[in-house]
Amino acid sequence: MSLAARNALIALGITIALVGTVALTVKYLNRSLIAELGAIEDQLSIDMLSLETQFSLLEAAPCDSVASSATLTSELENMGSRLSYAEEQLGSDNPQVIRLKDTYSLLEIRDYLITARLADACGTKPPVTVLYFYSNAGDCADCDKAGYALSYLRDTYPALRVYSFDYNLDLGALKTLIAVNDVRDSLPAFVINGKRVYGFSSLSDFEKQFPKGALSTSTPKL
Amino acid sequence: MMSPEVLAYPFLFIAIFFESFILVTLLSKPAREARGRAAADTSDASALPSVAVIVPCWNEAATVAATCESLLALKYPREKLKIILVDDGSTDATPEAMARFAEHSQVSIIRKENGGKHTALNAGIAATRAEIVGCLDADSFVEPDALREMVPCFANARVGAVTAAMSVHRPKNVLEHMQNAEYIFGITFRHAIASVNGLYVTPGPFSFYRREVIDTLGGFRYGHQTEDMEMALRIQQAGYTIENAPHARVYTKAPRSILALLKQRTRWTSGFLRNILGEYRGLIGARRHGALGLLVLPTALVAIGSGILIFSLTLFMLVRNATAAFETYAGVPLSYTLSLREGAGWSHFPASFYLILGIAVLFVSLSLITVGKRISRTPGNLALGLISYTFLYGLIVPLWLLRATTDVSLGKRRNWRE
Repeated sequence: MSLAARNALIALGITIALVGTVALTVKYLNRSLIAELGAIEDQLSIDMLSLETQFSLLEAAPCDSVASSATLTSELENMGSRLSYAEEQLGSDNPQVIRLKDTYSLLEIRDYLITARLADACGTKPPVTVLYFYSNAGDCADCDKAGYALSYLRDTYPALRVYSFDYNLDLGALKTLIAVNDVRDSLPAFVINGKRVYGFSSLSDFEKQFPKGALSTSTPKL
Repeated sequence: MMSPEVLAYPFLFIAIFFESFILVTLLSKPAREARGRAAADTSDASALPSVAVIVPCWNEAATVAATCESLLALKYPREKLKIILVDDGSTDATPEAMARFAEHSQVSIIRKENGGKHTALNAGIAATRAEIVGCLDADSFVEPDALREMVPCFANARVGAVTAAMSVHRPKNVLEHMQNAEYIFGITFRHAIASVNGLYVTPGPFSFYRREVIDTLGGFRYGHQTEDMEMALRIQQAGYTIENAPHARVYTKAPRSILALLKQRTRWTSGFLRNILGEYRGLIGARRHGALGLLVLPTALVAIGSGILIFSLTLFMLVRNATAAFETYAGVPLSYTLSLREGAGWSHFPASFYLILGIAVLFVSLSLITVGKRISRTPGNLALGLISYTFLYGLIVPLWLLRATTDVSLGKRRNWRE
C-alpha cells in the first residue's frame, strides 16, 4: 500500500472518529435537555399540588395567599420560556413536550381562575389578564411577533398576567376555556380582560386594546 | 422540512478528512526526513550545481532593486549563481532601477517587448545554461539560506522542480496579516503534500526547475495567466516529482486592498479551473498520479464548490434569521431586545452539528498555520494573522470563488491586473 493510501485510510478513521464524537456530543446535549424536561415535569406536578392547596386555603382564609400566588405566576413564566425552548428543539409533536404542555396549560388555567377568585373574594381590582391563543402548526404567521410583544409587555408591566395556550392542544379543559370565551379559530387570538381580539399587526396597535391605565409600571393595589 | 445546513455536511466531512490527511502526512517518514534535510554545503563549490535565478519584471521599479539585492545576498558560490533581470517592456522606471546592477558580474539584464510573464521567463531561460533554473517575482525577497535549503532536493533524479516556504513580506494592514496566515497555512500544506507528490503549483516566488526537465518539456506557456501552475501540472503529467524545501524562506508582497486581492485570486482560481478542466483534465482521478490525481486535485475542485455553497448557505440562513428577527422584534423597544434576560440554563446552548464541525475545521486550520510557522521558522507575530484569518478569510474567499467560476462559466477573460 502506498504512503498516500495508508495516510488516507488513517485520515478517514480520524474523520469518522471526530464526526462520531461530535454526533455523540450533540446527542448527549439533547439528552440533558430531555432530562431537564423531566425536572420541569416534576416542578409542574408540585405546582399543581401547590395550587390545589391554595384553593383550599382560599376557602378557609380568603386574601391570605396573595403573595404566594404572585410567586407562582413568576415561576409559571420561567417554566413557560423553558418549555417553549424545549418545544423549539424537540419539536411540537414530541410526546413529552405535548404532555408537559398539557400540564402547563392546566396550571395556567388554574392560576387564571385563582387570580380571578382572589380579586373577587377580597373585593380588589382584578389584574389585567391576557389569554393568548397561538398555533405553531404553521397556520399563524404573526404568532412569533405576538408572543414576543406579549413577553415584552409582561416583563415591562409586572401587574399584567399573560397566559399562553396552544390552540390546537387536545386538552379538555383548554377546549372548555376556548368555548367559554367563544374564541374563534383565527390566530393569534387574545382575550384581554374578557374582550376578544384577533390578529396582531404592531405593538402600538395592540396596546390600544388594553383598558385605559392598564399598562402602568406601578404595581396596582390588590 | 430538511434543514438547509444538511447540504454542508458532506463538505465539512471532506474538509476534516483533508486536514486529517495533512496532519497524518506531516507525521510520516518522508515529511520528517524533508524537515531534517541538511542545507547544501557551500565549502566545495565544484560539488554544487550551477543556478540561474530569473526575475521577470513589468513595472516593478519600486521593488526590483531590493529583490535583486536579496538574491545577491544568497549564501551560494558566486561563480555558480547568476541572476537574470528581465524587463518585459516596463513603462515605469524599472530599466533605471535595473541599471544599477548592470556592472555586477553575477547579474545579466535583458530588455524585451512586453509579451507576458511566461515570455519573460523564457527569455531568461534562453540566456542561461545553468543546471538549475529558478524564478523569483520582482516583488519578493529571499532569506540568504533559501537556495542552500533547496538545492539538496534535486539530489533525487526524479525531482523536476522544488518550491519554497512563502510568507507575506512585512504585513501591515489586516488584509496582509490575513494573507500571511493563509500563506503560512500554505507552507504546511506544501510541505505535507510534497511528501506524497501532490503539488500542482510551483509559485513565482522562488521555485526552481531542473534544466533538463525544462528542455524536455519546453519552456513556460501562457497557461491562462497562471504559468507557474501550468508548468507544475506539465511536470506532474510527465511523471516527475515536485519537492518542497520547508526551511527555504521567501517573502512576497501581498495585495493591500480587497479589490487587488480579488483580482489576483480571481486570476489564480480561474487559471486553476481552466488548466485543470482543460488540458490537464486527465490528471483528475488518474491512479497513475497517486495522491495528486485521486485526492489533491479532486479536493481542490470540491473546495471551490463547497466554498461557494457554504457561503451561500450561511448568507441565506443569516438573512432568513435576520428577517424573521426583524419581523418579530419590530415595534418592541430595542433596549428590551438587547437586554440580558434570565437565561434558561447551559443546556440551552444551540449544540448544532454544523456549528461544532465548523469550529473543528477552523481549529485544525489554525493549528496547521501555527505548525507551518514552526516548521519553516518564519519570524514575526501570527496573532493578528490568526484573528483576521478566523473572522475575515471565510467572508472574502467566496467572493473570488464566485467571480472566478462565473468568469470560467461565461468564458470571460480578464487582463492580468483586471
